[in-house]
Amino acid sequence: MARWQGGWLALAAIAVLWAAWPQAARAFGDEGSFHPRVLLTGTASWEGARRSGSSQWSWELKRRTSAPARSVPTAVRADTSSLLAEPFVVWAGEGPVAPLTPREVDNLRRFFAIGGTLVVDDAAPETGQFGRDVRRELGRVLPDAAPLALPETHVIYHSFYLVPRPVGRIEGAKKVDAVVRGGNTQVVFLAHDLLGALAVDPSGIPAFAAVPGGESQREQARRFAVNIAMYVLCSNYKDDQVHAPFLMRRRGRGVP
Amino acid sequence: MLVALVGLLLLLVELRRSKAEGRVGIALTGLLASALALGALLRPVTVVARGTRVGAKVLVLVDQSRSMLLPGAEGSRDETARKAVERLQKSAGEARMTFLGFGEKVEPLPPGGARPRAQRSDLLGALRSVLVQADEMPQALVVVSDGRLEGPGPEQIGEALRGLLPGKGVPVHAVAVAEREPKDASVRAVRTAGAAVAHQPVSMTVEVGCSGGLSCESLPVAVRELLDGAPPALLSSGVARVVDGKATLELQMTLDRAGPRLVEVAIDAPEGDTIPENNRRTLAFDVSRERVRLLHVAGRPTYDVRALRNWLKSNASVDVIAFFILRTERSDVHASDSELALIRFPVEELFTEQLPSFDAVVLQDFNAEPYRLLRYIPNLARYVEGGGGFVMVGGPEAFLGGRYQGTDLERVLPVDLKQATSGDTTFDLAPVVPRITEAGQAAPMLAPLRSLFGNDLPPMPGVNLVGDPKPGSLVLWEHPSRKTRSGRPMPLLSLGEFGDGRSVAIALDGVHRLGFSEFAERVAGRGHGALWDGLLGWLMRDPRFEPAQIELPQGCAAGEPTTLRVAPLPGTSGTLSLEIFPANERKGPPAFRGEAPSTGKPVDLPIGALAPGGYMARVKIGAGSGARRAFACEVGGDEWADPRPDRARLGAIASSTGGRLVDASDASKLSFPQALEINAERSVTPLLPPWFWTLGAALFLGIHWLFRRRGGLV
Repeated sequence: MARWQGGWLALAAIAVLWAAWPQAARAFGDEGSFHPRVLLTGTASWEGARRSGSSQWSWELKRRTSAPARSVPTAVRADTSSLLAEPFVVWAGEGPVAPLTPREVDNLRRFFAIGGTLVVDDAAPETGQFGRDVRRELGRVLPDAAPLALPETHVIYHSFYLVPRPVGRIEGAKKVDAVVRGGNTQVVFLAHDLLGALAVDPSGIPAFAAVPGGESQREQARRFAVNIAMYVLCSNYKDDQVHAPFLMRRRGRGVP
Repeated sequence: MLVALVGLLLLLVELRRSKAEGRVGIALTGLLASALALGALLRPVTVVARGTRVGAKVLVLVDQSRSMLLPGAEGSRDETARKAVERLQKSAGEARMTFLGFGEKVEPLPPGGARPRAQRSDLLGALRSVLVQADEMPQALVVVSDGRLEGPGPEQIGEALRGLLPGKGVPVHAVAVAEREPKDASVRAVRTAGAAVAHQPVSMTVEVGCSGGLSCESLPVAVRELLDGAPPALLSSGVARVVDGKATLELQMTLDRAGPRLVEVAIDAPEGDTIPENNRRTLAFDVSRERVRLLHVAGRPTYDVRALRNWLKSNASVDVIAFFILRTERSDVHASDSELALIRFPVEELFTEQLPSFDAVVLQDFNAEPYRLLRYIPNLARYVEGGGGFVMVGGPEAFLGGRYQGTDLERVLPVDLKQATSGDTTFDLAPVVPRITEAGQAAPMLAPLRSLFGNDLPPMPGVNLVGDPKPGSLVLWEHPSRKTRSGRPMPLLSLGEFGDGRSVAIALDGVHRLGFSEFAERVAGRGHGALWDGLLGWLMRDPRFEPAQIELPQGCAAGEPTTLRVAPLPGTSGTLSLEIFPANERKGPPAFRGEAPSTGKPVDLPIGALAPGGYMARVKIGAGSGARRAFACEVGGDEWADPRPDRARLGAIASSTGGRLVDASDASKLSFPQALEINAERSVTPLLPPWFWTLGAALFLGIHWLFRRRGGLV
C-alpha cells in the first residue's frame, strides 16, 4: 500500500509539472477540452490501478492529435449538477452495480436530454456483471432506447485511426453495443476494459497485461480510445461526404 | 281651323258670284268673325322658351408614360402630343373636351412642360377607372399615344375596349404621335425562369431587337453582376443572331451570393444607335438560398467545435463542409499514414476556386499560419467584401492568437486587433459572464436567445483579447470589466458590414455552455442553437433578423425624384440613417445620405433624383445593424426597351370602335357628335283673354250679318 501511495504521489507530481510546463494553451481554462470524467453512482468510488486510465486517455489524445484534453481528469457523481457541466462521462467498474437513486436517474436523463455522451467500460468483461447491471440501470434512465450493435462502418472506427474492431485489455467482442438517439450515439457499451488497457503504474509501465495480443493489442486499444475521444469532440465529422471517397479508397486497399 | 277655312272659301265663292253691295265689308267682317271664332276655339298663347346647346362630351387620354420622351413626329413624342392637344382644343367647336393623362393611373393632364414619368401606360385600366367614376358617359374618346401600351396587342385590344365602353356608337379615335421607328438596338426584355437561388443556375431569356434600319445581324450580349468596390463580374455571355429585327438568346447565370444583388444585361450596339440608354438593363435580384452552404474550419476539436458542428449538422437548411485540424506537426500519431483516417487540409482549393461557392465561412480557433492560409487571407477578405459571410470564433488560436492583426482579414472583422494589447498576452483565462449591451438587448438576431434566457448568460471560460469595435460595428456582448486600450468595454460578440458582406467576431470559446451546462439544461440545451440561429440568420440576411424592410413604392426612374419607404421592425427606435451607394467599381461617397426619426412605423424618405445605374440602399436604425436593398434606376426602363411606335395597335383601337386614326398633325380633322339643344326654361302666356275672342267673334258675326242683309245676301 505504501508503494502505491508513493506511486500516486509521483504521478501527481508529474501531472503538476506537466501542467506547469510552458506550452501552448489548449483551450480557455481547459473548459472545452476532452475530459474523460469518471461517473460515480451510489457509494462507489474511483480508486485502484485503473484510476490512471482516464489521465492516460487524455495524455494519449494530446500526444497523438491536435485535441486538447484535461490532464487530470476528475470524477463526477451522477446525482450532482456537475454532471451537466460537460458532455462526456465514463462509467467504469467491475462487479455489481447498485440501483440508481431517483435523483441519479433524473440527472442522467437531463444529461442525455442535452446531448451528453456516456461510455460504459466494463473492467471485468470476463464476468460481465458490471455491464449487465449498467444496462439494467440505463434501461430505467432511457426506457425508450434499446442498445444495438454498432456497424463496422460507424464513425467511431474511423474518427482518427482506421480501427478494424474494438479492443481493450482483452480482445472481447468484435462489436460494441450502443444507444443511438436522434442520430447521435449517446451510450457506448464496451466489454473490453479500455481503461485497463490504458492504465499505467506509477513508473509508467502498463498496469495490466493486454491479452491475448500484448502490446500490439494495447496500441490498438489506445487508438480506439483516441477514436472515441475524437467522436466525442467532432461527432460524425469523419462521415462527411468530403471524407467518404478517401476513406473508401483506403479501406479498399485493405489497410486496417 | 278647317271649318273656318272652308267657311271663308264658301264666302269668297258666294261674294264672287253675287253682285251684292258692300262685298268688301262682308268679306272683311266674315274674315274677322272667322278669325275671332277660331281664336275663341284655339285660344292662342305666347310661348317663351330659354335653352342651351350642349356639345358632345369627349375624353382625351394623353399617354404619360416615359416612352413619350422618345423621338416623335414633331420633337419628342410628348411634345408632339401637346401639339395635338392644342389642335384638338382649337378644333373642338362645341365639343366638351376633358384632357386626362394616363400611365400607371389616370389623372388630369399635367400642364405643358411636365415630363411624362409613368413606368407603363395602362390604357384599359385608365378607361376602366374613368368610366366607373363618370357621371356622364362620353360620346367619344381620343387616345393620344405612340401605341406602346400595356395589355392586349392589335388583335385583341378592340374586343377588350368594346367590353369596357358603355354601349355601341362610342368611337375611340387615335392620334399617333410617332410614325417612324428610331434607329436603335436594344435589350427588349429579360426574363428569368423562377426565382434566383444562390449557387443554382438561373435560366435567362434575353430578347434583343434592332429597328429603324440599323444594321445589326448579330449582337453580343453580356450578363454581369455589379459589385460594390470591385469590377463587374461576368456571369454569362452570348451572341444574338438578329432575324427580322429581333432575336432571343437563352443564357444561364449563377449568383453565388444570396441577398440583394444587381445584374446588368448589356448589348454591344452597332454604330448609328440613337438610343444608347436602352442598350443595357439593370435588374435587382433578391437571391434566396435553398440551403446555406457553409465552410466550417476548426483549428482543433473542442467541445465548442462539437457544439457548433452538432447544431450545423442538425440544421436542415445548412449544407456544411467541415475541415478540422486533427493532427499538428507535433502530433506523434504512432502510426503510418495508411492507418489514419485523415485527409490533407485542401487550403488552396478551399480558399481559391471553392471559396465563392460558400455562403459563409467560419474559422473557429484557427491559426492561419501553420496551414498556409495566410497567403489566401486577401481572398477571404475580398470574399467578405463581395457579399460572403464570415465568423471568427474564439479560442487560443483565434484573433491575436492566430496572428490576424494587420492582415487583410482584420479589415473585415468588426473589431480592431492592432489596438487589442500591448503585451504578448492574446487571451484572458478569467471566467466571464458577458454583459449584454443596449444594442444586444434590442438586436433581432439575439431575440431567439433572449426568449430563452432573458438577459442571463452562463459563465464562459476566458476571452480573446480584442480592441475597439470598428466604426459602424455593432457590439452585442461586452466584457463586464476588461477594457480596451482606449478605455472602452472590450467587445465579446460583435457584428459588422464590409462591402456587400457581413462578419461576426466571437471573442469566446465557451458559447457551447449555452447548449451544454446546468444553465443550458433549463431550456433543454436550446440556447446554443438559438444564438447561432440568430447569428447565421443575420449573416445570411434572413428577413427575420433585418432591422427594416426597404421598398421603392414608385420604382426609380433616373433623373426623377424618387421616394424610398422604410418599414422598421416593430419595437425598433432611434434615428434612422439612410445611405445610398452606387454600385461602382471604385468605392466613393454615397449618392444620398439622410436621417429621419424612427418611431417603428413605415416612413417615406425622398431621396431626390439619381443618375442611371444600380444602387444599394443601406438603412440603419439607432445603434442596430443595417438592412440593405438593391435597386436599379434606368432612364427609360421597360418603356424604352422597345422604342418602336405601335401604329397598328392604335389603328386597331380606332377601327374596332368606329373611330379614326390620325397623325398628330391631323388631330384637328377629327369630328365629334353634334351638340344637343337642351331646354332649360319655358313660359306660356294667353295672347288675349278667352272672353275677348268669344265676344269679338259674336260682335263681328253680328256686323257680318248686318252687312249681308244690307247687301241682300240674307
